[in-house]
Amino acid sequence: MEFPQLLDLVRRGDELAWEAFVRRFQSRVFGLAYHYTAHAEDARDLAQEVFIRIYQHLAAIPGEAGCLPWIIRITRNACLDHLRRRKARPPLWDLPANELFDLRSTDRSPEEALLDAVRKTMVHRALQELSDLNREIILLKEIQGLGLEEIAAILDVPLGTVKSRSHRARLELAQKLVAVGMGA
Amino acid sequence: MDEASMHPLSPGPKATPLDPGASPELTQAILARTSGDPCHRLQSLACDFVDGTLEAGQASLVRLHLGHCGACATLVEALASLQTDLPALAQVDPGPWFTQAVLRATRHQPIRQGADLRDLWWRLMHRPRIALEAAYLGAAAGLMGVYLPLPATQVPALVQPLGDSALRVAGQVALAERRTSASLQRSLRSIVSPRSAPMPRGSLWQRLSSWTRTRLQAFRKAPAPPLSPEAQKPPSANP
Repeated sequence: MEFPQLLDLVRRGDELAWEAFVRRFQSRVFGLAYHYTAHAEDARDLAQEVFIRIYQHLAAIPGEAGCLPWIIRITRNACLDHLRRRKARPPLWDLPANELFDLRSTDRSPEEALLDAVRKTMVHRALQELSDLNREIILLKEIQGLGLEEIAAILDVPLGTVKSRSHRARLELAQKLVAVGMGA
Repeated sequence: MDEASMHPLSPGPKATPLDPGASPELTQAILARTSGDPCHRLQSLACDFVDGTLEAGQASLVRLHLGHCGACATLVEALASLQTDLPALAQVDPGPWFTQAVLRATRHQPIRQGADLRDLWWRLMHRPRIALEAAYLGAAAGLMGVYLPLPATQVPALVQPLGDSALRVAGQVALAERRTSASLQRSLRSIVSPRSAPMPRGSLWQRLSSWTRTRLQAFRKAPAPPLSPEAQKPPSANP
């Protein structure tokens, strides 16, 4: 089913369409929440809360082009609320390497899957060491693939700031990876 | 961050000087005494180089530097690997039971088909022009209050044949003024009396009433001009 048709059914309250919608975006919402909170259980709770909020405002879901930025904005707001409630930075090194980026894979050898999972975990940890703005720009631009204008609107910062910070944030992240021996 | 690993003084193992006779140490020594460390300049161009958006001439210079600087080559390789590593982090499997948990949680949730009235009111009140619009409305209401016509009073026609005598004209004018003030007082009294609650101090209505009251008292205190016997006679039809 085409996405606009699915959205139409979701807005009308069709349960099957809602399930398809959840399955389509759950990994993205959970991934974003996990990168914000650095805690898998918190991220699961937040992702669930995000979908409940979306469900309560089904009529407000924008069209195809604006749907993902809208969901990302809701997720970000939920994560920031959560972090404010905790009133502390999320723990950085509290997860085992394979807790989140699991090793289930059908097309790779176990060694490759392990290396991939370790690599993802290291990148995730390096992300947590960046400043808040740099981390958010990496999350929204490089990971979620949003445009610069959308990021500027979500973060409520000038477009020029997003542009200049984008390169600096990537460079800083690469430097942190090199420092822990993950150059290539 | 280990600065020494980022800006090494010695070239990396991949160093391949253009001139076979040129020693890397000599290049470093010359750079150290002239332009300084070029790694900072490379860092400002590294993202564009990895993205492929760097101009061809500068890209060749970056490649030349990378051939001689192992630290910068490692950094650029890390940047290039991030291009594939970061998008792979976008979607993370939340677990097998997540979808069912969401469906269970949303089963009994109410769906709001439209925006709440409270949301609409909040949005209306937080528009940037709301203060300007409120000022317009207030000004319009004030002007309407000031220029609203008073209730019709039985003012006698002042223009009527008065005869030749100036005294008769003055008498008619004084009589008309007295009648006008009396009828105006009656009409104002009929407007004011139904209001049981006093108007707030300083309101437009209160100021208008007090102004009118003052004018009426001044009218009453002013001595009426003496009327001549001729003025008291009804005007003749053919003077």
